[in-house]
Amino acid sequence: MTASPVQSALSRRERIWPAVLASAAAHLVLVGWAVVRQPSPTIDLEQKPIVARLVRLGEKKPEQWLPRKEAPPPAPAAAPATPAPAPVAAAARAAPSTKGKAPPQPAAPASAAPGTGQSLSSILNKVRREAVAEKRYGDPGGAADGDSDQAAEDPYLAQIHRALRAHYVAPVTIPERERLYLEASVTLWIEPDGRITRWRQEKSSGNPTFDAAVERTLRLTTRVPAPPEPMRDALRRNGISLVFQARQS
Amino acid sequence: MNPIAYALALLALLVPAAPRGADRPTLVIGSPAFQPLPIAVAGFGAEGDPRAGLETTEVVRGDLALSGLFDVLDPKGFLADPAEGFAPSSIRFARWSDIGAEGLVRARVRRDGPDQVAELHVYEVRAGRELLSTTVRAPQARALGHRVADAIVKVYTGERGAFSTQIAAIRKAKGIFELVLFDADGRNPRVLLSERSILLAPAWRPDGREILLTSYRAGRPELWAFRLADREFRRVGQVPNAMGGVYSPDGTRIAFAATEGGNSEVWVMKVDGTGARRLTNDPALDLSPSWSPDGRRLAFVSDRAGSPQIYLMNADGSGVRRLTFQGNYNQTPQWSPRGDLLAFTARDERKVFDLFVVAIDSGRIDRITQDQGRTNEDPTWAPNGRLLAFRSDRSGAAQLVVADPKGERQTAVAGGAGDLSAPAWGPFPE
Repeated sequence: MTASPVQSALSRRERIWPAVLASAAAHLVLVGWAVVRQPSPTIDLEQKPIVARLVRLGEKKPEQWLPRKEAPPPAPAAAPATPAPAPVAAAARAAPSTKGKAPPQPAAPASAAPGTGQSLSSILNKVRREAVAEKRYGDPGGAADGDSDQAAEDPYLAQIHRALRAHYVAPVTIPERERLYLEASVTLWIEPDGRITRWRQEKSSGNPTFDAAVERTLRLTTRVPAPPEPMRDALRRNGISLVFQARQS
Repeated sequence: MNPIAYALALLALLVPAAPRGADRPTLVIGSPAFQPLPIAVAGFGAEGDPRAGLETTEVVRGDLALSGLFDVLDPKGFLADPAEGFAPSSIRFARWSDIGAEGLVRARVRRDGPDQVAELHVYEVRAGRELLSTTVRAPQARALGHRVADAIVKVYTGERGAFSTQIAAIRKAKGIFELVLFDADGRNPRVLLSERSILLAPAWRPDGREILLTSYRAGRPELWAFRLADREFRRVGQVPNAMGGVYSPDGTRIAFAATEGGNSEVWVMKVDGTGARRLTNDPALDLSPSWSPDGRRLAFVSDRAGSPQIYLMNADGSGVRRLTFQGNYNQTPQWSPRGDLLAFTARDERKVFDLFVVAIDSGRIDRITQDQGRTNEDPTWAPNGRLLAFRSDRSGAAQLVVADPKGERQTAVAGGAGDLSAPAWGPFPE
């Protein structure tokens, strides 16, 4: 007597049950092991952070020179109309010193004000100042559109840095003492064409105003330059860790 | 399919290779562009004299703009709704948000006895909530405006505002030297002292009751103190050729420079002029002392390395160390009230005098002024350390300019008649 097809199927199902149970148990054990073994922080705080700037192409600036601002000076604010001073007569009431004798009247000190007597040397000085002012220092290996006179560790990271900095704005009302330690950490994933597909906040700064500024920066930065070939896969799969700081870097 | 192989295949799907943090580069994004907070200051209503409300409003708007903390919205861009009260529920915040305001200030001014009183309310527009509700009192509308501005700065930054303070400066006009007092916004000038002999380098006593000056009444530099209460002007100390005196933060000592035989050294004496003691002893010039806020150290200028540079030493003259190594003509150090920075004047490679700040700990130098006239000099800190005043020739004649310590917002606040120099920002009122 031969077994019916239904009986045959049932007997096969009975045979596979031990394997299914063993598989489920193995899943549980291995998933549990993976969860336990998985390192919880996604940012290695011991890793050396990279401060990236895109260095400008040019000659090195002498180290002993004073720093120059990269941005032009702020627009001059108009001086208010000078109110009339209080009458000098009020000053005449200043009580004379009991110790001071009648003072001699020394000549006024030589004025340091410029422009008194335009000479050839002053004109040459002016030309020299302007010539120096126009000089932009950088690095022989820099980029034509660089914006810093110091080299970065990785040119592509410098480009990411610049793209994010373009939208990195925070309210100046954040107290300066808080700025010294405010930090928010974010993971950012970048597609091979430079699109930013997603980001995730890893660590809040603890200051809602600063966190909102970081979020606004990431919302406004939808794209960065396309990564170079060797970095594409890693940036798409693993992303890049960003540490937003409120202090100067 | 082999059940074990099936299980392993499922397992491979269920346990993906999770990225580890160590595989990612970490990029630091610092130095955000700090921008002022857009704030609307609705015209203050007034019970009684409407001019008090107008003047108070004007002073508050001016102070908030000067602070560099706020972008005060042009009042022409909005109309106050008379139906709006002071309760947050009565304010249509969407209307204020539409004009770009993130903060809103409303107040009502009234007279109460000899004083002007403002009922002040500050709101956070996005959240639609009230940040501050308080009453501010002052003898006049101008002073009331400064105090209201101070209260607004305090609520946003947690720090004391400095608009109720005063700035002293020397004005020279037609051969007369005047000690002039300005409000912190450069308005309301009052002449305290008028001399035909040279006056230099005013410095406030920490309690705000006296101003120390270098006077040439005797034909040579001497330290003199001007007492504001009764306008007494008296000589302090007996060290000849003393100049550039500054009170210690506790008001008990005076540091100064004195020249003997062409060599200038830094000295210190008690505030009554006794106990003078030389702190430096070097054939080079040592001058322009400035106290650290804790009174334990002094910054000064010395050319012992061949060019004027900023140095630090302990208050007893020990532990001298050089602070600046860039630039070849650094002078007029002013220690910030917070203790972390020194502002100073330096001549750069283009022979232009500009303002800089140097971090005490790291020695890092940042520039405040650049391409703004040929001379920006004599910095002085507001007592909260949030603003600097200095002398500038950016518009031709010398004028007082107020700036934030990064130089991102600079406002000429006083100028015109005479040559203004050596501003000294006074302490907080008692």
